[in-house]
Formats: sequence, structure tokens, C-alpha cells
Amino acid sequence: MKLLTHNMLTSHVKGVTKGYPLIIKATEVKVNELEFNSQFVSRMIPKLEWSALIQAAEWLGHSQDLPSTLIPDYENDEEFLRKVHRILLEVEVLEGCLQCPESGREFPISKGVPNMLLNEGE
Amino acid sequence: MDEAASQLERDHVHSVYEKIAPYFNDSRYKAWPKVKQFLLEQEPGSIVADVGCGNGKYLHINEDIFKLGCDVCRPLVDSAWSRGHEVQLCDGLRLPYRDGCFDAVLSIAVIHHMSTKERRIRAIKEMARTLRVGGRIMIYVWAMEQKRRKFEKQDIFIPWNPNPPLSSALRQRGNGTQSVSDDSASSDKHRKVRSTSSMVDEGDLISPGQQKQQRLWFFSRSLDSVLDFTSLTVSRSSSSTLQTPVDEASESRSRRTSSRGLIRQMSSLFSSSSRTSLEEDVFISDPNEQVHKNDNRSSGNGNETVPLELVHDCSSVPLPDLVSYQRDQSTLEGHVEVDGKSSQQEPLRRQESTASLLESDGMSGQSSEQLKDSCLRYYHVFREGELTQLIQNHVDELHVLHTYLDHANWCVVAEKVQVWKV
Repeated sequence: MKLLTHNMLTSHVKGVTKGYPLIIKATEVKVNELEFNSQFVSRMIPKLEWSALIQAAEWLGHSQDLPSTLIPDYENDEEFLRKVHRILLEVEVLEGCLQCPESGREFPISKGVPNMLLNEGE
Repeated sequence: MDEAASQLERDHVHSVYEKIAPYFNDSRYKAWPKVKQFLLEQEPGSIVADVGCGNGKYLHINEDIFKLGCDVCRPLVDSAWSRGHEVQLCDGLRLPYRDGCFDAVLSIAVIHHMSTKERRIRAIKEMARTLRVGGRIMIYVWAMEQKRRKFEKQDIFIPWNPNPPLSSALRQRGNGTQSVSDDSASSDKHRKVRSTSSMVDEGDLISPGQQKQQRLWFFSRSLDSVLDFTSLTVSRSSSSTLQTPVDEASESRSRRTSSRGLIRQMSSLFSSSSRTSLEEDVFISDPNEQVHKNDNRSSGNGNETVPLELVHDCSSVPLPDLVSYQRDQSTLEGHVEVDGKSSQQEPLRRQESTASLLESDGMSGQSSEQLKDSCLRYYHVFREGELTQLIQNHVDELHVLHTYLDHANWCVVAEKVQVWKV
């Protein structure tokens, strides 16, 4: 699971209103190398919940000194974009779980795939 | 009823796909060109979700967008992940994504597996929820109306065959990546072969002689109804060649083969046959010989109909009857349905074009193993305009932009709009 994906994921347990972002508890993390595309990254940024991304990066120990709020004119800051590229697309959680911040319900991540299936009644 | 619906889907969608997942392979499951086009048209930097992504066949299209896929079937999701895609396991009725986070959503051949209208609406609404305002969704579902064939009912079970043969015509074109049975030359193949550059409609390659084939699929009653009992009909439309001649006036007596016997028969019919079509094809057709063989077997028991109690097993869950719906259908099709309240005693009636049997109420589902062998998948095939109407009447947040028929699929493209609540 990449952090770009994690940024979209939320807890959908019944009754939960503050299920985002899911707390990452990773037991196995991998860093891949992916071709950097600055346009791709800079277009992605406005679609993100930035603070959730920063938090996720911290949980994985990959904060990389990313600012807690977006800097203006980030589209032209290649160093910044490269850091974002790394944290969004290159860092991957292979094993662990995602925990709902409100209910505590844990969704396992196994072989890179989060299992977000809920049981009946959840 | 929602429990019944989800049980039906568990048994005849989820568990079947889990079983057949290893047999999915890309050479027989190519991307639909219009879906590909929809993806290619997305702006660079878009985030797109493929809900019900299966083995991820659309997830590689367009490198400038971020795609994620989800599906309820673990082996398929794992397969997609092993190809390098971002995928999650989840249920289409409860998507684990925040509101408005996607620029586009795909739902290709998914919601036709949902067994009630209400669930289909919920699934569409869930996807709409995750779409941003201005974002677009593309939905493909199987069409009831087909070019050369016609489903008589909307709620059906379709068996899966892992080894559909190539037609002889296709073989000549050097397309023989799959093993073909020896006598497949004469058998009907409704296999669609797709490449990225051209679509071949299998029907075009079938000789007229082959077109007069038995068509075999199973109907279920729609779950959207008021009565509540177990009943399933299996219908066979034949232009010819049942061994026992049938005319409109004839009726067959009530048959009660055991569900095991039926399932075995059906299993052997489908598993031994390499003639059934690709899972994407809408119809199963059997060559005459196969059917005659089957009839020979069954005529030994004095049973000339395709036994239907098998489908009994499809429902350890009662499928409510839709009596008024059935009556409408029967007047349209000359097809007489029986009120299921007395399902245990009802006679079977065979019409010229269909044979239907009611499932008895009392049998308990013991042969789920054999059933799984026949891998019946539940489909609700859509009539023209049905999907569009569903969205227009029930999903305010989507505005339908395009509707079209694409090779036996109804497709709708819709845009998420801001809904102002007063």
C-alpha cells in the first residue's frame, strides 16, 4: 500500500464519523524506485489531504522534513516535489494494519493489500 | 431481504470468482476499447478508482494517472497486486474511500452481480460519493438484449467454463493460445476475441449451422419481490433439437430428480464440455450432440427436461417470487409460470421455447460441493434504459451524459454534480 492510496482510505465502520486518516501500524515497509514525474506529482498535491500525508510519513519514519503545510509555488520546487514523490509513491507498506482512529478497528495489510472488508453489522 | 441478497451474492458471485480466479488469464480477458479510451482521456495527475477491478486489467492503462483498484475477491486482488497495481479488498456497497477523492470511477461488469435493485442503487451511490464534483463514472453491465440472442429473464445464473474453445475460424487465424477440443470445430463458440486494435464479435464467425444450438442458462426469480419462497426456474430456449418434441400445448409431468442428480448432470454437462463460452460471453450454448447426449442420459430416467432442482442448491436462501412479474413475462413469452406457494406440487409445463421447472421448497442444500463445481454465477442483466433510469430516478448526484450499447453491454457515463439540499 502506497501512501497515496492511504490518503484516500478511510474507516467506514458504521457510526464512525472521524475515521480519517487511518493510523498506520506497519511491520514491513519497502522503498521502491519509481521514475520521477514532476507534473504528475504537482498535479496530485492539490488532491491530497496534506496533513494526513505528513502524519502517515511520520508513522513510517519517512518524514523527510516535509512541511506541515503546503508551501506556495511548490510546483516549481523540484527538491520538494521529489520528496513528495518519494513519500507518495516509493514508500510502500507490505505488512501491518490500518487502525480506525475512532473505533480502534484494525484493517490488516497483507502482501501489500489492505483488507477493508467489514463484517456483517460493522 | 438484504441478508438473502448478500447470501446469494456470496454463494454465486464471490465464492465463484474465488474459485475461478486462478483460471483468469489476460489473453482471454482484454480491455474494452471504450473503457480504455475513457481512461486515456483523463487529465494527467488524475486519481481513478476501478471498483470491482478483478485481476486489474484496466489498471495499467494511462501512466499519467494514478489508478487504484478494489474487489471483493482476494485471489483476483492478489493477482492484480502481483502485476504492480495498488489494490484493496473491499465491498462495493461500503467503499473505504473518503468523499470526493476520485476524479473518475470505473464500474465495469460489476453491478450486474448485485442481486437486488436496492443494492445496485447503493453501489452506484457509493461510487458517486467517492467521486469529486465534475468527476465522471463509467458503468458497464451486461445487456439483456443481445445481437443474436435474447435472455428471456433478467435474473439468471450462468455457469463458468474454464476452457472455452477457440472457434475453428479463429484457429485458422493463428489465435490458438488455448487448447481446443477435437470436435470443437462443429461446436458453437460465442467466444469473443479482443485485441487492443480490433474487436471480433464471435457471432460473426459462426456458421449458420452452428447457430442453431441449444442455449442453456438458468433463471432465478428476481429477489425484488414481495413473496417469499424458494423457487428457481431453469429455462432452455431451443430453436430445435430437443429429443423429445415439444409444442406449445404439451406439458411434462412434474419431475423430482434429486438435487444431487441434477447437479451431477449439470456439472458433467458443463465440465466435460469444452464448448461453453468465455465467461464474458453472455450465453452458454451447447452443441446439439452434447444436448442429445444429455437427453440420452436423462431419458434413461424418463426425464426429458434438464433437471432444475440443481438450482435448488443455488438457494439455500429463499428467492422470493415475483408472481406479477412472472405473469407479465409469461404473457410476453408464452411462458407459464407457476405460483410458488404450492411449489412442491406444481406440474411442469414446457412451452415451445422454454422449459421451466420449479424448485421444491423442502430440500435442503446438501450438494453445495457439486454446485460449486458448476460455478453458477448470478447476473441481473439490464434492459435498455434500465441503468440510465436507475441513475436518473435514484441517484441525484449523478447526471447521465452518455448511454450506449457496447458489444452486449449497456454502458452509462455520468458526471457527479453538486446536489443542493434545501
